[in-house]
Amino acid sequence: MVTLSDILIVIGEIAVGVGAIIDVIAALGMLRFPNFYVRLHAATLGTIGGAFLPLIGVTLIAAGAEFLGVYRWFMAGGSFITALLILILAPAGSHALARAAHRSRAAIVEPKVVDHLEEDRGGSG
Amino acid sequence: MVDETQIMNFILFVMPIFMLAFVLYSIRAFKGPTIPDTVLAIDALTYDLAAFLVILAIFFRSPILIPVAIVLALWVYALDIYVSKYLEAKKELGE
Repeated sequence: MVTLSDILIVIGEIAVGVGAIIDVIAALGMLRFPNFYVRLHAATLGTIGGAFLPLIGVTLIAAGAEFLGVYRWFMAGGSFITALLILILAPAGSHALARAAHRSRAAIVEPKVVDHLEEDRGGSG
Repeated sequence: MVDETQIMNFILFVMPIFMLAFVLYSIRAFKGPTIPDTVLAIDALTYDLAAFLVILAIFFRSPILIPVAIVLALWVYALDIYVSKYLEAKKELGE
């Protein structure tokens, strides 16, 4: 007999498993990519795919698992709020960091083909 | 059909994958040649740590771990904003 709780738990486990694999791929990219602006891609992949997706999966697991007792709705709601916070805060934070790194020339763009933003500011391009 | 031991076995299977990702992020955080690299690695590491804490809350059946994850997510956003303001101020003041 397949109940609604079983469907919720299986969908949640699939989300957590896919998120874990995306997390390892993003960490490999963070380690292997050549400069800061390429690593930004791996970082946002790791936060949205590696943290947001498992949190939604944990929300579904906690909503479907009866053995957690009366606190399971608290756990489901808390993990959903954390997922929403990460969905909003992670792109905003990495965007601010990239803007500051390019304006202050803290990260060198190397290797590069062309950098039009640097040319517009009067740099070497 | 899906019982408690199946969920626990699944979480035990997923935990080492997350720990491998934490080790790889930590290598970049310690190695990172510039300040933004280090901050970006700590950023991704802490968001994943928040997700891992929520998974641990399911595993240990303790709801006390949930507010810790929310505070971690907010703290690392504050770290991003502080470091980017510091970098821009350092450029405007001329080192």
